[in-house]
Amino acid sequence: MTNQEHEPLPDEERREFSAETGSLWRLTLTPLTWAMHLVLCYATISLACARQLFPVEVARLGLIGASVLALGFICWQGWRAVRQWNVLTTGVLTHPNGKAEDRHRFLGHAATLIAVISAIGTVYTTLPLLLLEGCR
Amino acid sequence: MIAVLVMAGTLCHLAGSGAMIQSRPPETTALDIPGPVPTERPQGPRCIRQRILASVLLLAGCEGPQSALVPAGVDAQALHLLFTTMLGGAIVLWLLMNGFIYWFSHRHPAAFSEIAARWLIVLGGVVTPAIMVGALLVWGLTLLPDQRIAGNGLRIRVHGEQWWWRVAYQPPGTSGPIISANEIRLPAGRRTEFILTSDRVIHSFWIPALGGKMDMFPGRETRMSLQPETPGRYRGQCAEFCGASHAWMAFEAVVMPPEEFDAWLKAEAKDARPPQQDSARKGQQIFRREGCGACHTLRGTEAVAQVGPDLTHIGNRHSIGAGRLGATLDDIALWVRHTGDLKPEVHMPAFPHLEPAELRDLASYLKGLK
Ligand code: HEC
Ligand SMILES: [Cu+2]
Repeated sequence: MTNQEHEPLPDEERREFSAETGSLWRLTLTPLTWAMHLVLCYATISLACARQLFPVEVARLGLIGASVLALGFICWQGWRAVRQWNVLTTGVLTHPNGKAEDRHRFLGHAATLIAVISAIGTVYTTLPLLLLEGCR
Repeated sequence: MIAVLVMAGTLCHLAGSGAMIQSRPPETTALDIPGPVPTERPQGPRCIRQRILASVLLLAGCEGPQSALVPAGVDAQALHLLFTTMLGGAIVLWLLMNGFIYWFSHRHPAAFSEIAARWLIVLGGVVTPAIMVGALLVWGLTLLPDQRIAGNGLRIRVHGEQWWWRVAYQPPGTSGPIISANEIRLPAGRRTEFILTSDRVIHSFWIPALGGKMDMFPGRETRMSLQPETPGRYRGQCAEFCGASHAWMAFEAVVMPPEEFDAWLKAEAKDARPPQQDSARKGQQIFRREGCGACHTLRGTEAVAQVGPDLTHIGNRHSIGAGRLGATLDDIALWVRHTGDLKPEVHMPAFPHLEPAELRDLASYLKGLK
């Protein structure tokens, strides 16, 4: 990568941006996990309680298992994001320049924060499963 | 400090909705303070005194028979503790935030180091709120099952109507339920279970001084239990908008020492008492003539209809019309004559053609139904 200013070649920007497609998608994985976990919890509990398709205790234990998986996945993605951000080795928090490296680290930074929120949200959704029993 | 008091006063005002009806609006309290009314905005200690006085007056609005802030039972106490803790926390946060604003704008306006600023954001904006909201969530979730713990035997079915309450007591070891309406009596120190249902729309059953609220659905049963501790009279209120007279859908909740309650329930199970005096006997004739029995039950008489509330022991009640009026002779007469004016869209016709003397006789008949 060079520091010199030059007229961008045609398509250069587009190619540079598309290099980050992967991490842009990864950014959405943790909130998606949170959302799916929420829908799964609500749907399963209501099928057990309102439709009596299966015992609620089974649903509860299954969902606690699903919560552990969801949290594990979010933590794993969060850890990948921290590494992409690369703050632990460089100690540099921000990425003010619009270069490819900055973009890469910025997306890691953003993904880290979103993973933190998703983890908190998933924990909050899981708490009723741990504290409430039955359909009440 | 003053601001906190004012804030607390306002909050109390919002929380004690029953008290809100009874107390004067806040604007008038400020004018009620003794002393000459100043034309200009008062300054200095006098102003502070007035504001403290105003706040104290506002805080007085927290009392009354329908206040969650004056708990009279185990369940209300638990909610009260949660509320005061949150209020205390909110006050501390408010002071901290404004303290910070003051400190950094007036006392220490120099630039803040970037590292410190970031730590402040991470700790104050992410870690602390996540922990605090999480702790409140855990606390709230552990309170939830307590709303439905099993009682000591007595069960009360309450069925929401537009806009009154059918009440049926089911003491353990008895056959049929004991039917009543629009007033709920409870033994102090015992836990009573409620089975809640509704007729056509959703209502919500709430006695703020005794505990939390629970919705009542048509075609579905919900349950809750209450353990009142302090004998006294409290006010319950429908807490889910249910039509024109929703605001008039209230009831008296009477907490009694257990022995008194048992005696009362025994009496409540009996049939209606025949009229004792002449006026009451005339009232009974009018009750028959006007066809009140087409909608009301008086157990032990030919009136057995269930359109309206059971009136068998209406004479013992503290209010009529689901908390709409008191229960004096005048109140009863007023109710029969001006039903629809008192309660919009009510499902009982008014009887404006009755003479004052007839209304008095009718009222003395009903009042005698102890
Ligand atoms: C068409 C049916 C109907 C007729 C007829 C009727 N009522 Fe009612 N009555 C009701 C209903 C419904 C209520 C409950 C109204 C409410 O609070 O929403 C009620 C409430 C009352 C109450 C208050 C009860 C309570 O629990 O607080 C009294 C007292 C009463 N009626 C007396 C009478 C008398 C006396 C007559 C005859 C002169 C009469 N009613 C005729 C339907 C009727
Ligand atoms: Cu209602």
